Amino acid sequence: MQGKGLTVRQRSLIAITAALAAGALTLTACGSRDGDKDSGSGDGGGGTTVTIGVDAPLTGDLSALGLGIKNSADLAVKTANKKNYVKGVTFKLEARDDQAQPSSGQQNAVTFVSDKSVLGVVGPLNSSVAESMQKVFDDAKLVEVSPANTGPSLTQGPDWRTKKVRQHPSYFRTATTDAIQGPFAAQYVYNDAKKKKVFVIDDKKTYGAGLAGTFTEEFKKLGGQVVGTEHINPDTKDFSAVATKVKNSGADVVYYGGEYPQAGPLSKQIKAAGAKIPLVGGDGINDATYAKLAGPSAAGDLATSVGAPVEKLDSAKQFVSDYKAAGYKEEYAAYGGYSYDSAWAIIEAVKKVVDDNGGKLPDDARAKVTEAMAKVSFDGVTGKVSFDEFGDATNKQLTVYKVDNGAFVPVKSGTFTG
Amino acid sequence: MSGIGPVEPGEGTRARHTGPPEDPYAPYDSATPDDQCAPRDPHSAHHARHPLAPAPPFRHRSPAARLHARLRARPRGLLRTRPGGRPRRTLLTAAVLAALLTCGGLLYAAREQRPPHPAPPLPAPPYPSQVVDVSYLDPAATPPGAPPGSFSFALLVSVESGPPVTVTALDQPYAGLSLTSAPRPPFRTAAGTARKIVITMHVMECGKVPENAGLPFLDVTLRNIRAMEVQSFILGSRYAHALSEALQVACGNVSR
Repeated sequence: MQGKGLTVRQRSLIAITAALAAGALTLTACGSRDGDKDSGSGDGGGGTTVTIGVDAPLTGDLSALGLGIKNSADLAVKTANKKNYVKGVTFKLEARDDQAQPSSGQQNAVTFVSDKSVLGVVGPLNSSVAESMQKVFDDAKLVEVSPANTGPSLTQGPDWRTKKVRQHPSYFRTATTDAIQGPFAAQYVYNDAKKKKVFVIDDKKTYGAGLAGTFTEEFKKLGGQVVGTEHINPDTKDFSAVATKVKNSGADVVYYGGEYPQAGPLSKQIKAAGAKIPLVGGDGINDATYAKLAGPSAAGDLATSVGAPVEKLDSAKQFVSDYKAAGYKEEYAAYGGYSYDSAWAIIEAVKKVVDDNGGKLPDDARAKVTEAMAKVSFDGVTGKVSFDEFGDATNKQLTVYKVDNGAFVPVKSGTFTG
Repeated sequence: MSGIGPVEPGEGTRARHTGPPEDPYAPYDSATPDDQCAPRDPHSAHHARHPLAPAPPFRHRSPAARLHARLRARPRGLLRTRPGGRPRRTLLTAAVLAALLTCGGLLYAAREQRPPHPAPPLPAPPYPSQVVDVSYLDPAATPPGAPPGSFSFALLVSVESGPPVTVTALDQPYAGLSLTSAPRPPFRTAAGTARKIVITMHVMECGKVPENAGLPFLDVTLRNIRAMEVQSFILGSRYAHALSEALQVACGNVSR
């Protein structure tokens, strides 16, 4: 009897122990779900550090655009690390200031090339700076993705109008070119704004002179008349002599190829001279600073810029939100989305190379990344990001903005589908 | 018996389990689900942590005496031992099942009380300009009845994704030209599909048409459930060349 009683007790104990254990496991299982959900790491995967360089004007007149480029690329790097997007790779950003000077840009390119951890560079802003960097990068097979260069010759060669020839296999860009931007502006000015007589001014630089050239060519083809041309010195802010010439020319519109530090005062002085006509420019003047420099009389001035307005891009909402949350002091400005996409294109190329090499970077990583860049394709902030045979963006959208109440507002967008 | 050593059936085992196994009907006294599912024998827990601690006094009573005392002390009611002497194993099994059901129910209730995960908001439909592509195909036959000085081009209108998009108007920017299309707007295109359309231009005044436009475009008014937009489609160099040739032919027969 005692023995049987002990057996019953023992079984009971086992049953209760099992029940409690099952209960404990159930509790553990229930409790682990939330914990798992919150266990994501914001750090990168450790292992190899890959540096993404940024070259842009971080000081000087154009720093509003340059700092937007740097911050936006930085956001892409942080996002990739937070997601552990490339297993075993932690990305690092290194930004260098070119002060919008070709010589500084070239020196920065040499510095980036000498750092073996650099596998890609975002930038520069200025086409003239890009010209000084391209060969340095190309010789080292170090990929460069510009979010802002629009000069056609950078990708298609100096004779791009008649014969397109790829210049530098390591050079890519996410912004469209002035081969489209200039004619797009001319079509709008002639057909929509109904302006027939233009006075064309440029700053003699690669970007400004090139854009003024493509605008002028199309404006003439449409039947428009060029009533005067002038070049300005971008190192000065006194444009009174040019303003007087504009007034005396009888022009009903001014086209300026250049950037906002000069365009703002130029517009103001033209109006002050008595020519109450709009100034039109390209993406180089599309910054909030322009309206501040030009003053209230700039109302009605126009700028074309690459891409569709951010508010029309659902793909940009996350970027805008993340940029704000990151607490950057400066605006992402005109090229923020394109800068994020440029950096992300490099990250995608690195990922492809690492994945194809068993999870590690190969010895010839730079060459492989450059090779992979040609086939990169992803849905970015600015839409589908990929490159054509020249390294140009396949996404070719443009928008016309007009100064209204002291700020540029979009008035018309176009898509190149040729 | 010191409490040190392997747990075996017998005194040691009994000594460590003086709570729930021996009194499975004791009322729950804890208000929280977690506590209700926790071991109910503080002595057992204490011994697990401190095997050398003095045992409680009742450990020295014989099993039969403890059972007798417990049965006498147990309140009468539904959960008391049946008069016929139903084996304790059955009662214990029922108790374990009841405990499991209770724990399960409490866990379920606790889960229900958690704030529900908010469903992710549905993404807004895309703007029509971001999903529509209008591209140039080739010259097309001019429809019968078109006035002299007319010419036609075939275009492809495609919608990549999102809700259907309606083309409500087609226009070209030059003052000396008029434009019609087949089909006539409005016409609708569903996502993932493309439709071929034919636009026919008629030269009204040769002096007001571009002789050699580099990047002529069409203005297309698009509408979906999100927005109505006018988007310029720059159809590229092939369209530019075709348009220039057609204009030269159309205006070549009239004095300019």
